[in-house]
Amino acid sequence: MKKALFVALAMTVGSAASAAPFVWPAAWTAEQNTANKRGGEYRYYSLSDYKTFNPFTSAEADSIPTLIASGTGLFAQDPRNDEFIPYMADAKPTVSNNGKRFVVKIRQGMKFSDGQPITADDFVTTMRIHMDDKVGSNSYDSFRLAGKPITIKKIDNYTVQFDFPQVSSGAYERMSFTPWPDHVFGKAYREGGAEAIKKMWTLGTNPNQIVSPGMWTLGSYRAGERAVLERNERWGEWNKDSRGNALPYLASASYRIVGDANAALAAYLAGQIDAVNVRNADDLAQIKRAMDAGRLKATLIPNVSPQATSQWITFNWNKAGDPFKQKLFRDVRFRRAMSHIANRKAMVDLALGGLGTETYFSVYPIFRQQIAAGANAPKYPYNLQAASSLLRQMGFTKKNAQGYLVDNSGKVLEFNLSTNAGNTVREQLGRIFADEAKKVGVKVNFTPIDFNNLVNQLTSKGENRPFDAILLGLSGGSNVWSFGSNVTPCGGNLHSYNNNSKGTCLTSQETLMTKLYYQGDATLDDAKRRAIGGQIMKAEGELQPVIYLVGGNYHVTFNERLGGEYPRNLMDAYYGSRDLALTFIK
Amino acid sequence: MIPFLLRRVVQSIPTLLLASVLIFFVIQLAPGDFLTPARLNPNISPEQLEILSRNFGLDRPVWEQYFRWMGNMFRGDFGLSFQYQQPVLDVVWPRIKNSLWLVLLSTLLFYAIAIPVGVYGAVRQNSLGDKSINVVLYFLLGFPSFFLALIVIYFILLARDSTGLDIPIGGMTSNNYEQLSTLGRVWDIAKHLIIPAVVLAVSDAAGLTRVIRGQMLEVMRSDYVRTARAKGVGERSVIWKHTFRNGILPIVAGIGGLLPAAISGAGFMEVVFAYPGVTPMLLTAINTQDLYLIAGFTVITTILLVIGNAISDLLLAVVDPRVKVA
Repeated sequence: MKKALFVALAMTVGSAASAAPFVWPAAWTAEQNTANKRGGEYRYYSLSDYKTFNPFTSAEADSIPTLIASGTGLFAQDPRNDEFIPYMADAKPTVSNNGKRFVVKIRQGMKFSDGQPITADDFVTTMRIHMDDKVGSNSYDSFRLAGKPITIKKIDNYTVQFDFPQVSSGAYERMSFTPWPDHVFGKAYREGGAEAIKKMWTLGTNPNQIVSPGMWTLGSYRAGERAVLERNERWGEWNKDSRGNALPYLASASYRIVGDANAALAAYLAGQIDAVNVRNADDLAQIKRAMDAGRLKATLIPNVSPQATSQWITFNWNKAGDPFKQKLFRDVRFRRAMSHIANRKAMVDLALGGLGTETYFSVYPIFRQQIAAGANAPKYPYNLQAASSLLRQMGFTKKNAQGYLVDNSGKVLEFNLSTNAGNTVREQLGRIFADEAKKVGVKVNFTPIDFNNLVNQLTSKGENRPFDAILLGLSGGSNVWSFGSNVTPCGGNLHSYNNNSKGTCLTSQETLMTKLYYQGDATLDDAKRRAIGGQIMKAEGELQPVIYLVGGNYHVTFNERLGGEYPRNLMDAYYGSRDLALTFIK
Repeated sequence: MIPFLLRRVVQSIPTLLLASVLIFFVIQLAPGDFLTPARLNPNISPEQLEILSRNFGLDRPVWEQYFRWMGNMFRGDFGLSFQYQQPVLDVVWPRIKNSLWLVLLSTLLFYAIAIPVGVYGAVRQNSLGDKSINVVLYFLLGFPSFFLALIVIYFILLARDSTGLDIPIGGMTSNNYEQLSTLGRVWDIAKHLIIPAVVLAVSDAAGLTRVIRGQMLEVMRSDYVRTARAKGVGERSVIWKHTFRNGILPIVAGIGGLLPAAISGAGFMEVVFAYPGVTPMLLTAINTQDLYLIAGFTVITTILLVIGNAISDLLLAVVDPRVKVA
């Protein structure tokens, strides 16, 4: 008995000794907490009410499970160079089987908020539940590659092995999911399956029963009002600042549910919340005015980076019912002419109040390294003469009495363009485009329509799809491989310009882009992958399947209570302006 | 009375069935469904969308969805909300409770303002007081309540800035609510409730005051009031017992509407004051096409409307001897 105790004790001491905490680099903050200020509350907001505490059924990016679990994942991306560094993992993984097998050692000494250690079982169970299609988890897709599942295996208590069906550029991202407690979910799942999981951790669950692996625990939640998160002391045991202090410095973080961006701005101006998302020039002006008048003491950094979004016009290549338009939209000269017509500078100035960035590719301009790799890709910037001459080459030489171009048979060069009604920026972009088009004699019938109808049209499949052209935007995606799996390859449901019933490519560039997409996605080496991305951008530039327009810029503002933000050069729309772990109240 | 109630129950069955059909299919008429926005997400694959639509039952024909929903409802199950992945009742109930506080308080204030003012206007017809009240009421009647609320918020903000008093302008509780004692919590909620409740009551009271005043005037001119006066009945008795009781009949008939109104929230007032009631939740549900949440909630209010109307009829019989419910 004594011997057993001794062995157990020796093992604990041994494991504790080998468990080094993760040290947050001092370079991740512009202002270090040298005064050792601890405590205080970070006050933020949420535009919509939280829907559940359940990490497996939660569908929104901004949810309670993601909030409390911030500071988890086997690997974390370093904002300085986008590289993945070991985080909940003890070291870099051992890669074998031609880049398809990853053996990961888990950092020892990590605990859930209820004191239970975080081990291989938690990772295995979590992934298994996410992968059960009956659960309906939003992460279902991230554990599959080309329709085949990724497998996870427990080697020992602190080692897991991932096997990918093919090499994946997103391997580190996919492995960096949040582990949820096996002793809570695993038990329920083994007994009651998917149905049991869905019933767990609803909004009615007492917050003190919510077990967290991350930076926060759930303090309290009042439907439609606010969620309050409290520091998880267990997390601080393995997360230290560069001087060895436990993180986070903050005692709590509260998220007030405001329901409306204007209300959020008002709360910020009144000093009730500590930061706000600046949407446009109007917001900027209001904040500036309040600061100038001395009503608000805050930092305001405009135009930090472009937003990670795109706005574009896509033309429908599948119009069997209207051969004239189908031929028109499939003609690369026409699409290049349309790109020449897009007055992106006017769009930035008029629709975005001067606070935007011109875009020419599906890659968001914020992904600088990828954009740099495609620097040689062709662009068709604003140039009405060039547009006219391209259209003349296509046979549109005469104008009718109304001043619109007609072909030899007298057919007017016109098409319908729609966007979702209510989006004022897109409505303005469409008007600017239509006005410029009129100058060269192209008739654009611009009509904003209902969002759901629009999406139905855009994602419809077949030889005769029900639209001419659509102005819309996309957001989401990662800086590891900046092309969308259902956007770039033929047959993807957002391959919006050509979506025939067979899902086949119609041009050599599409075929090439599809091939390159999968090739890049299966390349682990960052530089090589970006070079492949550059080739995609070149093919995309030549083909001009979608006319990319402009994107808004990201601005940062926070009031003077807060310290510990990122250095200015690390701030961007992708990484944000601060990590709460290093944030403190002055 | 019991046969009356039984008849009411039987009559309500086709009404509710028809209502449920209308509710369900009208919601379905809107283009798209809950998953439409997800289809624009470059990170969600078509397979995942298929799985979700199967899990939500959205891949079935509309009539089949309706019958499943109907069948479950007879067992007291109003379906799962898509957004919350939770039974509709669990989602709706806390919101209803919040709304109930606001609506009850404002209804109380509403009658407390409308009845005396209306009666005063009738008794002192065309006096200076009556005329000035009329001016104010006309003014309020023409004002949408949410706009009134915005003006009030503006003045509260001015007051906050100049006096430094912590007057709440939104929400239902303060930041430190969880740390307060029970009494402190009651006071905290009361502080948040009173302004929206008063605004709501005042803006609505205009209408009812006008009705009461008109009714009172009409009854006061009737023969039996004149007779009562001639017989020497006291003024107080004439007004409250003879006139008022007959004057409020149309109001009693409308009380049935209070029951569904009590749970359907205070409308845009809740939105303006960022109050966590039913309305903001319902607006989000409509925006995201959370089918069962909208349909379930609408059915609950319809049932309450039927019950409320029955109660109204019973009350009417109590107040008006000419009406019998048998």
